Formats: sequence, C-alpha cells, structure tokens
Amino acid sequence: MSVTPGSNPAAEALGVAVAARVPVLLWGAPGTGKTSAIRAMAQTMGLPCETVIASIREPSDFAGLPIVVGDGVRFAPPAWARRLAEAGRGLLFLDELSTAPPAVQAALLRVVLERAVGDLTLPDEVAVVAAANPPEQAADGWDLSAPLANRLCHLAWRTDPRAVADGLAGGWAAPVVPVLPDGWEAEQIMARGLVAAFLHVRPALACAPPSDPATAGRGWPSPRTWDMAARLMAAAGASGASEEARSALIAGAVGDGAGVEFLAWLVQMDLPDPEAVLADPASFRLPERGDRAYAALAAIAAAVSANPTPERWAAGWQALGLAAEAAPDVGATAARVLAKCRPEGVVEMPAEIKLFAPVLRDAGLM
Amino acid sequence: MVGDGIEGLAAARLWAATRFPYLATGVFGAQVIADPGSGTVSVDENWRMRADPELTAQWTPAQLGSVLVHHVCHLLRTHGERAQASGVGAGADRARDARDWIRAADAEINDDLVPAGLDLPGSPVLPRDLGAEDGLLAEQYYAAIRDGRRPVQGPEGGLGGGTRDRSGREKPGDEAGGWLDCGSGADGVPRPGQEPGGLPDWQADLLRRQVAQDVISHAKLAGNVPAGMLRWAEEVLSPRVNWRKVLAAELRRAVFEVSGAVDYSYRRPSRRSAVAGNVVLPALRRPVPEVAVVCDTSGSMTEALLAMVLAEVEGLLQALGLARQVRVLACDYAVAPAQRVSSARQVQLVGGGGTNMGAGIEAAAALRPRPAVTVVLTDGYTPWPPAPPKGMRIVVGLLGPRAPDAPVWARAVRVEPDDLPGGLRK
Repeated sequence: MSVTPGSNPAAEALGVAVAARVPVLLWGAPGTGKTSAIRAMAQTMGLPCETVIASIREPSDFAGLPIVVGDGVRFAPPAWARRLAEAGRGLLFLDELSTAPPAVQAALLRVVLERAVGDLTLPDEVAVVAAANPPEQAADGWDLSAPLANRLCHLAWRTDPRAVADGLAGGWAAPVVPVLPDGWEAEQIMARGLVAAFLHVRPALACAPPSDPATAGRGWPSPRTWDMAARLMAAAGASGASEEARSALIAGAVGDGAGVEFLAWLVQMDLPDPEAVLADPASFRLPERGDRAYAALAAIAAAVSANPTPERWAAGWQALGLAAEAAPDVGATAARVLAKCRPEGVVEMPAEIKLFAPVLRDAGLM
Repeated sequence: MVGDGIEGLAAARLWAATRFPYLATGVFGAQVIADPGSGTVSVDENWRMRADPELTAQWTPAQLGSVLVHHVCHLLRTHGERAQASGVGAGADRARDARDWIRAADAEINDDLVPAGLDLPGSPVLPRDLGAEDGLLAEQYYAAIRDGRRPVQGPEGGLGGGTRDRSGREKPGDEAGGWLDCGSGADGVPRPGQEPGGLPDWQADLLRRQVAQDVISHAKLAGNVPAGMLRWAEEVLSPRVNWRKVLAAELRRAVFEVSGAVDYSYRRPSRRSAVAGNVVLPALRRPVPEVAVVCDTSGSMTEALLAMVLAEVEGLLQALGLARQVRVLACDYAVAPAQRVSSARQVQLVGGGGTNMGAGIEAAAALRPRPAVTVVLTDGYTPWPPAPPKGMRIVVGLLGPRAPDAPVWARAVRVEPDDLPGGLRK
C-alpha cells in the first residue's frame, strides 16, 4: 500500500540476498512474475542462470547419479551443475519448490546451503534462488519441510497494481543485484552483536521450531537463521538498501514473529538511554517522531520515579524543559508523572513546570 | 511536530493521552497536517491525519482529542485493509459501500470506547443505530447494515432520520455534522491528491504492536481497559491461526506422510538404469492413500457447523486429487453403513444422546480397502480408544468453542463457528 511508485521492496530485498549469497525463496501466486523477475535479473547482471524445476526431478538429480566405476560408485553431477561450475559464477534457480516431493526436498538440503551436487561443489560465486507457490494455491502443493525452510530467506512476492501497469506499458524492471563494497563482511560483526544482544533479552527466540503445520513451511528462528539475518542486515547496510527491504530480509530469515520482535527491539535501541540523559540532561535531543518522543520522555519520567533523588528529579525536569517547545503535549504527559514523584525535602517547584501550564490548562487537566 | 495551524491540537492530544494512556503511543505516532477547506478530519493508511482547522476550531480539546483517538483506532484495527478484504470499493455502488463500511468500522470502535469516555462531536455511530448488538466486528456490522437495507424502511425506521448526523447520512443534504469522511485509513479507498509517504507498512506494524503491548501492560497495572480493546491487543500479539489453514495443513500432512511412505520397488526398473550400465536401479513407488471421514451425528452437533467443516474437508481432499476415494461414516453410538456422499448436505444428523467415536474409528478400520487416513469430526464429548488402529493416521476436527481435548495420538484442529475472513476476531 505504501510502496512508492517504481520501487518494489521484495525485488530490492531479492537483489541484496543474491549479493550476500544467502539462499532466497520467493513466495507468490502463480503468474505473478517471480520466474521472469529472476531471469531478467540474471540477464541484466550478465550472470549465467540455470533453471531447474524441482517438481519434475528425482532425488538423484540433486544428490548425483550413481555410476559404477571400477569397484566403487561415483555420484555424477548433472549437466546444469557442471555448466555452473565451469562458469565459476551465476544463478541456480530452483523453480516450483513447493511442488517438489519430500524426497526431493531432502536431496535439496545440501544443494541449497552447501552448494554440493553429488561429488561436485558449486563455486562460492553461485547464488541459489528459488520460487514457490503457497501450498494452498498450488493444486498438488506440499508443505516445505521445516529443515529446508530453515535454510532459506523467505520473501513474499506481492504484485503492486501500479507496477503491473507500468510493466505492461513499458517493459518490466529487472531487480538489481547491488555491488557490495570490499570488506562489507566486516560489518557482520556489528550485526551479530545486535542479534546477540537481542537474544540475551529474548532467549526463547534463539531456537523456536514451528509447532503447528500451517507455519512450518516458512522461516523460523534458529541459530542458522539468526546468523543468516545478521549477514543480510550487514549486506543491506552496505548496499544502502531501504529500511523496508531490510525488514523484509530479517523477517524472511527468522520468520515474521521473531523478525518483528527483533525490529521493534532495534527501534527501542535507537532511543536515548534515560540514565545517560539524567546524568547529562543538556545533551538530550528529542526524537523527531511523536511516538518515539513519547517513548523517550516516558522512559525518563519512569527512571526518575523509580529512584527519585532531588538531583535526578531536577535533571528530569531539565530534559522535559528541552522538549516543551517542540512537543508541549508529549512533554506534559511525562511532566504529570514527574510532578507526582517529588522527592522529600524539595520545596520549590522547578521552573520548567510553567512551560507546561498553558497546555495542561487547555486540556482541562489543571 | 505539532501540526501547524491547528489550534488546540496540543491540548487535544494531551487530553487523549491522559484519558486513554494505553493509546498514547498511537496518538503521538500519527502525523497531523492542516488541510484548510476539506471540511473534515480524515486519516490515510500511512498514519497521516488531515484536519480542517476551521472545523476543529469549533470543538473542545476533548472533542478533537476524541476524534484523534477514533482515527487512531481505525489504523490500529487495520480497517483499510479489512475493507478491501470485504470487497468495499469493488461492487457496483462504491460510494455507498464505502459509506456503509465506515459506519460499520465506526461502530466497532465506538461500542466500547464511547462508554470509556470518548467525547465525539455530533452523535457517533453506535451498534444499536445499525440494529446490532455490541462487541461485534466491523465485518459483522457491515453485514447488518446491508441486511437492514433490503426492506427500504425496516423496523428501524428511525435509523435514517432524526438528529443522528453520521448514521443519517443517507439523506442527501444531511451533512451538517462535519467529519463525515474518515478517509482511506478507514475504508482503504485512496483519496484523490493523496501523496505517497507517511509511515511505511512495516513501521506501522511495529507501532501497532507497541500499542498492543501498552494496552496489555496497562490492563495488568490499572485494569480499566475496555474488553474490546484488550481482545484486539491479544489478537495482535498472538494472532490466532485460521482453523481452515490448520485443517488444510494437517490433512495434507497426514495424506502425504502416508503417500510419502515411499518404497523402492524393482517391479519396474528405473528410467535411469541405462546410465548405470549393469546395475538395475529401483524406481520410486507412491501408494495413493484411502481416506475415510467419520462424522459425529449425535444430538449435540450443530448441522450448519458440521456441513461447513465437511465441505471444507471435501474441498481439501479434492485439491489433493483424492475426492473419489472418500467414504463418510455417520456415527453416534452405533455406526451407520459407510455412505459415499457427493455433497456435504447429504449427511444427516439422526443421532440421539450417546456418542462413541471409538466405534466409528473401528468401523473405518474395518473398511476395505482400509483407509490410511481417517478424519473424525466431533464435538469432543465422546470416549476414545486408548490407541489408534495400527497403521492409520487420525485427524480430529473439534467443533465448537468448548470441545474437550482430543487424545494425544491424534492431530487435533479446533474449528470455531466464525465466517469471518482470516479468522478475524475482536
């Protein structure tokens, strides 16, 4: 709904995942252009693209064909794998993943994560991309097995009516694979640190396999997917991707529930630390957005009321005073909390309280 | 931050944040823009409110604050998205549909916030104006409005007349109440001149969850949160999965686990054998499972619910390509002979008091060819055998909200009588 014309967060996220070499899976109804978007992307980027339709393959197509050689058996890789290995880079595109029977899905586990096809290992520069129809939309759909689902970043491929209109009139825009600057992987350390700090607060989300079968085929939090999320976060940061694409990648890796909690936690982390503000109130900068300003000021007032010493109380008022001009209403809600916790021995009301008097009177609260 | 040119906005927001502290994050999260000459206060799906300063100048801070809270609730309850799901804006008379939907959405918000102290200008739409009871969802109010329209002047003839400015909007020229159009945030229909921007979807989601968390923690501390608001917050934080989805996944899994019991067979050599030289490779074989449905037909079952679930099961099996093999057993205390029914309506509820689903499962196991998957539809008030018949998978559909648990060896799906899209619930 809020997609600005010309931008498609799912396409952007797809580009970032390919650049980061994280296996990615596009979910979408048949006919919505998943396959053509992936092929167009490979073509514009000049990458060789091998399309393998998983549903009409056998397990041995991915595990290698057993051939008797002398007194042993060799697992010969199929032609598509050999072509990709010779090219040294490219895109392995697994189409119709959700219609692949479980035995084929099991054979795909090593291909997706380790790029191993039989006795052959595909080069690191080969990216794995997959597309699937939700099982309820494909007549013969199977649910993705939880282990396979856990090795992929799941992106919802939605069609924006405006993009369809533009595409029909002027050709489809291919998703772009951003070029990541050298050394971007160093940023993973930072991203991993954030993930680690979050899991410290919410240990239950470190590994939470899906319990009901309706959600089993999508992303779910596990050590592997958190690692994937950290890598994707670093890649999104290095390529300057939009916040919307970044959030889609994180939620795609670890699942919607855990992803949203992590994103909410990141927003909280951006807020000023109330104790730091109370130590140095002059440094306080009011966040721009109203709800964040409210959260910051409420946290300061709560910190003072938890331990109301005269110094902290005065520092709290000083911080509120800085907010009075830009957001008198937001400040006044915190001021009401602060006024109620006047420490014993403080007789004089602070000067800042006057700043809030007009708005409190207008609202009929004074 | 405070919308320029709207007098009394700061006081109004302060009033709202004080009166409804659990909604403060939402009230401050919305951006308010002055829009002179629009004659209304509206909201879009990206948390931007446009207010006509001339109109709001006539209101007290409490009234403006109440309008803000009301609009924030449109956004929290994702009325725009839900309107689209209900087909608003797709029918023949779009303008009327949108008007009806907004009234329904207003009723969903107002039914518990007006008693909690919302002081809206004019006369807000309440469920009784629509001839409906409190505590329903906008989708249900919307249906009530449409049903009420069929007889042009129904028993609620007073609905269109009198002083109710919002509910009486049907009459041309009766637009004096102001703030009539709640905007695309309430009905999902984009307004002309609406620019892109505002809060992106994912940030709006985060904001919604934050408010839901505030509601829950406020309810624990102070306890004076309206029940409808609390149910909304619980639904946002731990969404209930639609039973249709769970039933579909359980059935697919049961059928595929049986049919996926793939065995290697040498009856027909593999097509790959040529590659392997002298070695003969086995081919994969996939048995197609038989499925039986056991229906509880005792007196405690409601026919409508059973028909609904049975139709769902049939649809799912058809999608799996198994519909021809389904046999339905009607069972209360004794088991009627297996019948092949072509439609869910043909199953008749004949039973009296007692129920024993164990007998039904046994009878299913005695069928030839033996079913590999049995679906049991029951209200749960039945004895169960200590273990399922050997080699048979059982999926139990528990009908009704108070059904006791199914035994641990069965996969259970709770089916609740709601006809709402996406299992929405207030």
